[in-house]
Amino acid sequence: MKFTISKESLQQALNQVQHVVSTRTTLAILSNVLLRARDGVLELTTTDLDVGVTCTVPCEVTEDGATTLPARRLATIIRELPAAEIDISVDEKNYASIRSGPSFFKVVGLTSEEFPALPRFDEAREFSLPQAVMRDCLRKTSYAISTDETRYVLNGILFSFKNNALTMVATDGRRLAMVEQEVEFPQSQEIDIIVPTKAVNELARLCGDTGEVIIRVTGSQVGFDLGDSLLISKLIDGNYPNYRQVIPGEAKERIVLERETFQRAIGRVSLLASDKSNSVKFQFTEGQVEIIASSPDIGEARETIAINYKGKDITIAFNPEFTMAPLRNLSADEITLHLIDEISPGVIRTGTNFLYVLMPMRVNS
Amino acid sequence: MPRVILHVDMDAFFASIEQRDHPEFRGKPVIVGSPADQRGVVCAASYEARKFKVRSAMPSRTAAKLCPHGIFVRPRMEIYRAESVLIMEILRSFTPLVERMSVDEAYLDLSEMGDAVELAREIKRRIKDERGLTSSIGVSSNKFLAKLGSGFQKPDGLTVIRDEEKVEFLKPLPVGSINGVGPVTAQALQAKGIQTIGELQNTTLDLGTIVGSFAETLKQRALGIDDRPVDLSDERKSISAETTFLNDTDHRPTLRAALKEMARDVAQTLDTEGVAALTVQVKVRYSDFTTFTRQIRLQEPVTTAREIYHLACFLLAKNQLVKQPLRLLGIGLSTLVPPTRDQFLLSF
Repeated sequence: MKFTISKESLQQALNQVQHVVSTRTTLAILSNVLLRARDGVLELTTTDLDVGVTCTVPCEVTEDGATTLPARRLATIIRELPAAEIDISVDEKNYASIRSGPSFFKVVGLTSEEFPALPRFDEAREFSLPQAVMRDCLRKTSYAISTDETRYVLNGILFSFKNNALTMVATDGRRLAMVEQEVEFPQSQEIDIIVPTKAVNELARLCGDTGEVIIRVTGSQVGFDLGDSLLISKLIDGNYPNYRQVIPGEAKERIVLERETFQRAIGRVSLLASDKSNSVKFQFTEGQVEIIASSPDIGEARETIAINYKGKDITIAFNPEFTMAPLRNLSADEITLHLIDEISPGVIRTGTNFLYVLMPMRVNS
Repeated sequence: MPRVILHVDMDAFFASIEQRDHPEFRGKPVIVGSPADQRGVVCAASYEARKFKVRSAMPSRTAAKLCPHGIFVRPRMEIYRAESVLIMEILRSFTPLVERMSVDEAYLDLSEMGDAVELAREIKRRIKDERGLTSSIGVSSNKFLAKLGSGFQKPDGLTVIRDEEKVEFLKPLPVGSINGVGPVTAQALQAKGIQTIGELQNTTLDLGTIVGSFAETLKQRALGIDDRPVDLSDERKSISAETTFLNDTDHRPTLRAALKEMARDVAQTLDTEGVAALTVQVKVRYSDFTTFTRQIRLQEPVTTAREIYHLACFLLAKNQLVKQPLRLLGIGLSTLVPPTRDQFLLSF
């Protein structure tokens, strides 16, 4: 195998695939990236057997072939190379010679034949939506994914394809983020899948500003085809909890808040929330909300924001981090906070397609 | 001003209760635990049974071989617990400064209370008169020495170790008398020529290389120093249940049934004590007696049998602990906290 490639495109391609590389040491080849050169294209593939990524970049191929090289080491070498062009040739023993300007590296690889093949997606359900939309939906939900490994069905995002819409949901049992997006597909294609956290993170990294992402689903696998890259993941096997039942119905109070102002104020006040309770109080009274954090051994912080509020007085406590997380990941100037009372979930909404259900905390008087 | 600490230890507690309640058992070797022809262990042995070298935690079958005429009695934990409550009440009538260590032992802080030896006699007399049971008490200036004292002349003993004579008192005792020095540490010390506490007092060896971070405490104990206060937070530190199977098994339904039963037990104790647990542990023992424990620290405390059962199953599966038949399976709960949650949870 022999090819010439620009440093920039190889570096970019390696960045896209190297996060997937297995940390398991049992199978050495999973630490490697599969390189395949043919038809003017270099194809790079990594997998940890749960998630796999393939990415293609144009290059000048003088001899077709394939090999595998240690991914992290290769990325480090490429990053440090002094010239803009790189020549790579690999002999039959899988020794790769890397030349760039005055530098020369010889890296020991492993045969490509031992690299596990990624699953194929014949007979799959197929959906398509713009990458920019997908990235936005991931951003609005992924922070709410549970890290509690005892509730493995929550360790990912639910993708529910129903009624010509894709609903994406993430929750950790204390808050739930949901976003809905219209997508055209025949009713026979309807399906619910749970995409694991690692694949979610990789997908967010791969999605660009333009182009479509084609989602292919089989019984236990999902593939996200982004044109010049392909992400494949095992699905989480299990039933996602019935998220619809935790979304409160009619709200008593609908409060319009300036997103950034609100977020910054919570951020400041939460500096004095105790680690133990980690709770911030919100006192809604006519025309204002006062945000308060206080703990006997740390001190107290207060900040008042003037708002258009005419409802009954409500004092409700929330975890400040859980309150700020959606605000940080939304782009709308204004959000609406729906409240019922101090022990019912609060709901943050923007537009018609995003909602965030947040359970309150006990208010310590 | 030295403190005055008592360690009160009931004599062969479970077995003595059985002998008290069954006059026909008195003067005979009583073994509380699993029946002699079944698997499982001895919980307690009367002094008559101890003469045959029957010890608690020993397999019942071994006990039956050592003591063929032993009277095997199934434990009646509810009775023992109720008895413990009554005895602790007696102790608390002397001072509120009582640290309950287990069902049958407690530390008392009697500093500035007058004649401690006379009080100790009075405690023993009241337990005997009111509950028909004997106890042994150690009186000294700290917990370590008090406990050493209570074990010194069992049963029905009373040992006083005065501050000025503590170093002499400790000298001839084997290093294993120090709490925390088990067989392994004792052997390591012996390999360096240290067998008695006296040799430990005089050693110039760097104990850190032998016993690691325990060195400082070890040296202090050897000199009879122990600053640990009598801990009054009358809180349970842990709750556990375990099952020894009739035959070693990896039969999933059997294991699941046992786990469910134990989860119900510990959940009930949580409820009785009014606490919730942030740490859940499983314990397995294989046929060759090798024992493993694995635990998980949770974000939200658990209270229900269902949650505990699921977490136990999760721990067994995640750590692949049932790759061979189990002799014993157990569940433990610790980091006990109030059962109230500050964070309300979504209801699904």
